[in-house]
Amino acid sequence: MLTFNSIKELIKSLDWSKDLLSEMFEKRNSFSYKYEMALEILEEDRIEKLIEKEVLRRNGAFLEIDEKYLQFFELVLEVNEQVSTAFIHENIQHVKESINYYLKESGSDKQYSYLKVIKSSLQKIGRITHRSIIDLNRNIENTFKTEPTYKVKIAKLENFDIKRKDIEFLIQQTEKLVTEEELTFFKAALDEELKRITNSLRIKLNEGRHNLIETQKQIINYLNQIKHQSEFIEKIRQIKYLRDQFELKSKTNFLEVLSNNNSVIFEPKSSYPLKLSIDYLQTDEAYQSILKISKKFTNGHKNIALAEAIEDSYLVTETEEEIFINLEEVKNGFMASGNNLYDFVQSYRFPKDVSFEERLTFFCQMISQYENEFNIADTYNKKNEIEFVMVYPKNN
Amino acid sequence: MNIPQTGEIFEILSKGQFISSNSADHNLRKLYDIINDENNFDELYDYFHAINFILERGDEYFFFSKSEIRAEIDRKIEIAYKWIDILDFLKAYDNSFGSNFRFDYSHMAGQIGRDVNLKDKLEGLRKYTSEGSYLERIKNLVGLLVKEGFVELENEITNQYKVVASFGYMERLVNSINIPNELQNEIPQ
Repeated sequence: MLTFNSIKELIKSLDWSKDLLSEMFEKRNSFSYKYEMALEILEEDRIEKLIEKEVLRRNGAFLEIDEKYLQFFELVLEVNEQVSTAFIHENIQHVKESINYYLKESGSDKQYSYLKVIKSSLQKIGRITHRSIIDLNRNIENTFKTEPTYKVKIAKLENFDIKRKDIEFLIQQTEKLVTEEELTFFKAALDEELKRITNSLRIKLNEGRHNLIETQKQIINYLNQIKHQSEFIEKIRQIKYLRDQFELKSKTNFLEVLSNNNSVIFEPKSSYPLKLSIDYLQTDEAYQSILKISKKFTNGHKNIALAEAIEDSYLVTETEEEIFINLEEVKNGFMASGNNLYDFVQSYRFPKDVSFEERLTFFCQMISQYENEFNIADTYNKKNEIEFVMVYPKNN
Repeated sequence: MNIPQTGEIFEILSKGQFISSNSADHNLRKLYDIINDENNFDELYDYFHAINFILERGDEYFFFSKSEIRAEIDRKIEIAYKWIDILDFLKAYDNSFGSNFRFDYSHMAGQIGRDVNLKDKLEGLRKYTSEGSYLERIKNLVGLLVKEGFVELENEITNQYKVVASFGYMERLVNSINIPNELQNEIPQ
């Protein structure tokens, strides 16, 4: 196994492989990265070199970033999906060991270097605890919202609850370490910076504990919601099964439930037809409505299906004329003439040929029809052996 | 009576609709708040009671019932069957389909193409969705839910729908059906 000889070499290698590594890091959760895909980005001998140095790991046809580096990237970039409590635990141990060495050491130079380690470890504990709680909360929410399988969702949430307990335990441990267990050290090492660091750590831990209480509530709430949902899903599945088997009515209290339910939603949509107010119909406002409705009615007629076009042959008309004599017109002419009726009728130019007998008939008809408008005299006249009464228009 | 919205409330509830606390319609939310006020509720309850409507409070929604309704038991059964079928489909689409759930029907239609079980259930809903493409059928189904007041269009541009609190009414109805224990054991898993 080859390792990097110096930090310079490591950073240099990471530099020339940055494109590939960042691409693989981005895709780490979405899909497995293929060896051939890597070849498009970096030359083969360089990839092999990275594999040799255990930056990358080959897994059949796939390529992945080594766990060490992956964890390092995630930790530094603060994007870790996994909440790891081991790290905090490790740090606590580390602090304990260093305190032990510090107290045993008499040389102040050595003591100073242990103190430095302790300070940095304490700071780290605070930061990681804080980070872990944020990750935990985010993961809980993501799981609740996105995990599609119910059983997995519940199991994951329960696991997060265990993680929460772990973090809580570590907070307790750390507090104990600072306040009780290593009292001698914290009293003996009179260092301002250490005091400041311990104080800020305690504040952070306190905050963390409060956050965890909230997290616990959230987990319980989510688990309850899921329980409620999954119970209902089971219920609807069973009821649907019985309904499909036509057993719902006979084997459950379905009918009873429905007959006791008098919600209006089951009623056919009721309408309340009211007569219109006549007074209202006479207002201008109602007029607009009436216009609108009348438009609707004409539109309605347009929709009536039209018959086919009528053949032209049907439209050719055979006309037959017949001339009628309009006695009213004759009378009007007579009223204007001033002549006596008999002579007027005899000389009137009818629209068609009229015989003497017909003219006599018109004469009689007119007298009987318009008696009131004529002045019928007592005198008689005789022409062509026909004696007739003298009739004149009545003068108004 | 000094609640000016009484008429409006009556108009909605007497049609068998609901007034939900999380309605997408601002006006309906306002009406919910008015009814939800303890003093108003009592006053409205008495008022509607006098004209034979019972104002009922559900979980975050209000609706009307009566001491006696003009609906045959057959009609009730038909409606309840419809709800059971639809609920079964919706819960299969998404387990958390319920109040406050948001969806758009194109996603739902897409899901059907990928899920045989869901497709099968949609076939069973033919009676309510009529024929057509998945998208058309889903549109009809969603239209039905909107008409009954369980779902509301929240965003016209993205066609996003929101499930409102009244959806719980259907769930409550289904939950109130009691399956005897010995029968539960007979139902296959």
